[in-house]
Amino acid sequence: MRVEYINPFVESAYNVLKEVLSVEIVRGELYLKSTSMPVLGVAAIIGLAGDVEGRVLFDMSKATAIKIASAMLQSMEMEPIEELNDMGKATITELANMITGQAVTKLHNLGFKFDLTPPAIFTGDNMEIADTGVEALIVPMDLPFGKIEINVAIRERN
Amino acid sequence: MKTKQDFPSINQRKADGVGSDGNAYRVLIVDDSLFVTKQIGQILTSEGFEVVGTASNGQEGVDSYKELYPNVDLVTMDITMPKMDGVTALEKIMEFDKNARVIMISALGKQDLVKKSLMLGARNYIVKPLDRKKVLERIMMSLSK
Ligand SMILES: [Mg+2]
Repeated sequence: MRVEYINPFVESAYNVLKEVLSVEIVRGELYLKSTSMPVLGVAAIIGLAGDVEGRVLFDMSKATAIKIASAMLQSMEMEPIEELNDMGKATITELANMITGQAVTKLHNLGFKFDLTPPAIFTGDNMEIADTGVEALIVPMDLPFGKIEINVAIRERN
Repeated sequence: MKTKQDFPSINQRKADGVGSDGNAYRVLIVDDSLFVTKQIGQILTSEGFEVVGTASNGQEGVDSYKELYPNVDLVTMDITMPKMDGVTALEKIMEFDKNARVIMISALGKQDLVKKSLMLGARNYIVKPLDRKKVLERIMMSLSK
């Protein structure tokens, strides 16, 4: 996977999380994962298509997802959630959509042409996301609500 | 019974969502995210707009517009959606009503997408994340065009 792909995701994640949640965010060290991986409990996934194929996965524990969704809802004067209900899931997928959208926009301006597909969300305690056969780069982000791992796997088409 | 006297007016400013004829602007919100639909709805209703419909994909958006027409003043249109994307839906709405007021609201800010939407007749293009001020400003700009 080309390194150029990853920075826009790191920057967008940082910017969007900061803007939407108004909290301090600490970027962790990037690392590679090559096999299929168990996820933390809640995973929002967005597909990429065009010059490349791949996907971006936003992985976090259920407790973190509930706290993040609640903070986003409360910033709009809406009720916080206690369980990861439909509104909670919609909130997390929209967060993933905003981060990926901003990253894809940045990449587009650098000359990489691709688009995103509507997000989906998976929850479960013992979930594994199937191996895409592509190495994934992980961007960990530490928030006061817990950790989000942004897992980016992109392969060029030829 | 409550009368108008029970609500002392703090300022006399006209709410943004009310037209010069005293009627609320009627809005159709098209977005596949329940969160965003609620967010936009909240911002608009707090300014006196009336949300007359919501749709969760482009096809549903086009169908709702045709059903509501002519009793709809404004459409907010997401781009990345299942079944039919927002740019295609914009094109179809403009074919049906060349005076339709459609505002794109997307997480994608790619130049070619913005250009294409404006060429097809969108009045404005708002890039997410959304905030109240940004949404209202752009919408008011589009209504006065
Ligand atoms: Mg969408």
